[in-house]
Amino acid sequence: MRPDRMVEALLFASEAPLSAADLARVDESLNEDLVEEIIAGLREEYESTDRAFGIVEIAGGYQILTRPEYAFVLDRFETVPTTARLSAAALETLAIIAYRQPVGRAEVEEIRGVSAGGVLKTLAERNLIEVVARGEGLGRPLLYGTTRFFLEHFGFRTLAELPRSDELDVILADRTADA
Amino acid sequence: MTSGTLSLTEIPHPPEPETTRKEGGEGGREADPLLRVSLDHFQGPLDLLLHLIRKQDIDIFDIPVAKITAQFLEMIRGVERLELEKAGEFIEMAATLVRIKAQMLFPRKVEEEYDDPRADLVRRLLEYEHFREVARVLDGAERARQKTWRKGYVQLRPRPAALDLPLETGWAEVESATKALAARLARPEPGYRFQSRPVRMEEKIEHILLVLMERARVEFSALVSPWGTRMHAVMSLLACLELAKRSTLSLRQESPFATLWVYRKDDPDAA
Repeated sequence: MRPDRMVEALLFASEAPLSAADLARVDESLNEDLVEEIIAGLREEYESTDRAFGIVEIAGGYQILTRPEYAFVLDRFETVPTTARLSAAALETLAIIAYRQPVGRAEVEEIRGVSAGGVLKTLAERNLIEVVARGEGLGRPLLYGTTRFFLEHFGFRTLAELPRSDELDVILADRTADA
Repeated sequence: MTSGTLSLTEIPHPPEPETTRKEGGEGGREADPLLRVSLDHFQGPLDLLLHLIRKQDIDIFDIPVAKITAQFLEMIRGVERLELEKAGEFIEMAATLVRIKAQMLFPRKVEEEYDDPRADLVRRLLEYEHFREVARVLDGAERARQKTWRKGYVQLRPRPAALDLPLETGWAEVESATKALAARLARPEPGYRFQSRPVRMEEKIEHILLVLMERARVEFSALVSPWGTRMHAVMSLLACLELAKRSTLSLRQESPFATLWVYRKDDPDAA
């Protein structure tokens, strides 16, 4: 049995991202390094044969996803669920939680300058954030963090993929003024 | 635009004494596109402040507090029409700005260690701007991600219920159906009718013999009841008479209109 086809079969059948460790576990002939080598090979194969899908590294694993060029075809298919995009308030709140987690409601509100209760509830309902701890102090406030689904939803491999401050298109370099 | 929206251009207001400030260039403020933005476009007071600062290329580390405060107050005119919580957030920031403005007016010695009253606000603005920028990155990532689908995302097409299907019958079909019906009615009715499947006496004979193989006698009505039509009754009676003539069975009836019994001939009781 060709090991690359075993990996391909798993990736094909899975609805969620599979990590190299997940994939290596299914056969003793496989190990994580080999799996990653195989995936690189499969990627090349799909690209050279111009497939409508590719292997994407997402949420700490690998997943076969359709290529964005074919989005228009899927959009035409009426049973594809239409995905609502997140509001600006939700995105700002998520950004704060992603960087500052675990973080409580008070800090989120302090940074955005507006109340956050409704947004936090919505984000938790959509499984993008979850309560990860309880803070110290009065009432032991709930502290939120991002979920694995957050990475899946935005197509990130890990949280480290979020832009660093110096990669952003804003002037942040000189912070001496607030000393 | 919702009812809570404030658009400055909609509200005519006479020049007020407090709008004449020492900063120049504010005379034509009503026509200023910078201030002609609905509050609904902003995520909150920090977002609004950043808009004012960045659009005017103001050095964020040296904010002209008096000017910005005036513009901010101008922008939030009518803020009380927003929902209470939202209005409170803008008004709180207005108060902060006014306080900083006042602190800036305090005399200070040059050599004294100076705490810029704007420092905390600047820190907050920069921090907020950072996350606002990250939110933009997230927005782009979400857009890109939503152009790719995982396996199983496309569900099987559900069969629509018959009632949900659009009616495909058009007037042309109704018309042709009407014409066909009219033509059929116009045809002369035939003077006779015939059974689509005639009942034959031979069939009835076979049936009666079959029944009488299992039983010594049978009611005539039982022979007819599975079909119940007059033609079957007539043919069954004819079959009985024929079999009686061949001496394979005998018929017995106690009195007119009483039950007619059909007996197997080899049965000694029926002799």
